[in-house]
Amino acid sequence: MKSSKILAVAWENLTQRKLRASLTTLGVVIGIAAIIGLAALGEGFRLEIRERIQQGFELNVLIVIPGSFTAALRPPFIPQEVNSVRNVTGVALVAPLITLPQVKIYNETNQRINAFTVGAVNFSEMTQMVGERFIPIEGEIPGEDENDTIVLGYRACFLNETTRLARVGDNVTVLQINVSKTLRVAAILGKGGTPGITNFDNWAFIPTKTAVQLMEGEEAYNLILVKVSDIEQSEQVANDIENVFENPYAISVLVPIAFVRQVDRILAIVQLFLMAIASISLLVAGIGIMNIMTVSVMERTREIGILKAIGAKSRTVLAMFLSEAVLVGMVGGLIGILTGYGLSFVLSYGLSNFIQPQQQDTAFQSPGVQQSMAIRPVFSLEWTIIAFIFAVIVCIIFGLYPARKASKLNPVDALRYE
Amino acid sequence: MEAILNVQSVKKSYRMGKILVPALREVSFDVSEGEFLTIFGPSGSGKSTLLHLIGCLDRPDAGEILIEGVNVLKLSDEKLAELRLKKIGFVFQFFNLLPRLSALRNVELPLIIAGISEREAREKAKEIVTLMGLEARMNHRPSELSGGEQQRVAMARALINNPKIVLADEPTGNLDTKTGWEIVQLMKKLNQEKKQTFIVVTHDPHIAETADRIVYLKDGLIEAVKEAPRGNSQ
Repeated sequence: MKSSKILAVAWENLTQRKLRASLTTLGVVIGIAAIIGLAALGEGFRLEIRERIQQGFELNVLIVIPGSFTAALRPPFIPQEVNSVRNVTGVALVAPLITLPQVKIYNETNQRINAFTVGAVNFSEMTQMVGERFIPIEGEIPGEDENDTIVLGYRACFLNETTRLARVGDNVTVLQINVSKTLRVAAILGKGGTPGITNFDNWAFIPTKTAVQLMEGEEAYNLILVKVSDIEQSEQVANDIENVFENPYAISVLVPIAFVRQVDRILAIVQLFLMAIASISLLVAGIGIMNIMTVSVMERTREIGILKAIGAKSRTVLAMFLSEAVLVGMVGGLIGILTGYGLSFVLSYGLSNFIQPQQQDTAFQSPGVQQSMAIRPVFSLEWTIIAFIFAVIVCIIFGLYPARKASKLNPVDALRYE
Repeated sequence: MEAILNVQSVKKSYRMGKILVPALREVSFDVSEGEFLTIFGPSGSGKSTLLHLIGCLDRPDAGEILIEGVNVLKLSDEKLAELRLKKIGFVFQFFNLLPRLSALRNVELPLIIAGISEREAREKAKEIVTLMGLEARMNHRPSELSGGEQQRVAMARALINNPKIVLADEPTGNLDTKTGWEIVQLMKKLNQEKKQTFIVVTHDPHIAETADRIVYLKDGLIEAVKEAPRGNSQ
């Protein structure tokens, strides 16, 4: 018997029992819709989170620190060490940075300026390193030889939307223990948005030379920012940088892309877990198919006997019943995929509405930046195909037993069956 | 004439609960090509069992069945299905038509199973349905047909693959005498015109006697074989 004809006959058999066939299919539809819906939503959720994390990092900028976050295991980096880092293959740019946590800044009316960290940098290096985050909204970033200048982060300068502590051109006083210096405010940086390591909203920046004078000591850097020429090579470059130092374990290299990848991996696992739960409903649908088909085989015992008596092979009977299961899987899969995407849009709309009002009050909220978590479901061709194949396979697996039962019927017994 | 079918020492028992009931004790006979043979016996004599064995629907416990010299017991189930499809036509007492299909689609079924194109199958089916005098009824479902019409549809289905052997299991058992007789006459006519071999199981002596040869079966054994009681073979 031609396979096209077998399929046609199977389709006919299904459509002749419309209610039964559609209820069986409904099981598959629900299962696939759940899988697709969660996959689309989960993918959207994952992308959203990844994007948010990326906003807090420059993905191509590695951060080298002496020791770890919790302990300085060695003294700060000396200029020669910075130069060795500069020479590592794959390093495009290096910007060393001195942090001066004890420095206090006062404005002209002797108000304390709200900078958590004062960083001493080479301004032109910083501009090249993190250009998008180092854009002044007022004033200009000072040039190489403009010492005794200061650049304020947005939050360091503004107490709130209306109250500001300094303007470009003001003279502020910086105080490091006993040494004090008067610096001119050269620029105020724009809002950084998402919190993260390279968010400078609460920073203030001064030229390296000024810092050296303040500290009355040698140049020694607490941080080295390293721009890699190829993000994909980040881990390799980080490894090479570690090996530049005599004791590689005493320093740490922060690789933002690795962190992002890790989070991404965790979210992918969560997504998979959700889909595994959704798959249970497909399993239930499969058992429904098995149930209905077993009943159907019993009802059609005589018909099977007749077909066999007039020369249908066991294989043909098997194919006929299996085709019915496959058709249920294909139709259910297709409808389920469409329903699933529909469902994911409805869910994402509901979830976004649920998340938005709660987010308004979070401390990290930076004004002007689109902060609401609008999860957009992501259509993935890959998942669509996988879900479709999964539906068909589940139907085949659960249809196999009743179909085999039908094909194994002894024609004489089947003909006698009342 | 050459034997198209040899039945040699065939035995078959059925299990009824825990008891093994012998249906055929030991049966041997030959059938020549083009012969019209009836197997006659009371109910329970094993005649339907014998017909099922000849029709390759079941396998005997012992003995051999040769169709055109081929030992069918050595064939796989799939090969047996093919044999049923190509060489054997079946007519049953209860017609055994598929209730959901029209008469025409019932008739074309063996061709569809054989993998012949739908158009060709439809054409052939129409031809043979017309031959059976059912052209006006061919789009009706079995439930809309009379018993005689249903049996003629079943005959058309049995004959559409042009089988060498046509097996009929009490083909008149569910029909009134007149219709039954018409069916038998139709079989006789086809037997003579197409030289197909007919083996008809019946418990009606009147019908049994229309045959070239009658095999009398009782309690699973052949009691007697009688040749052309009315000189039926011309």
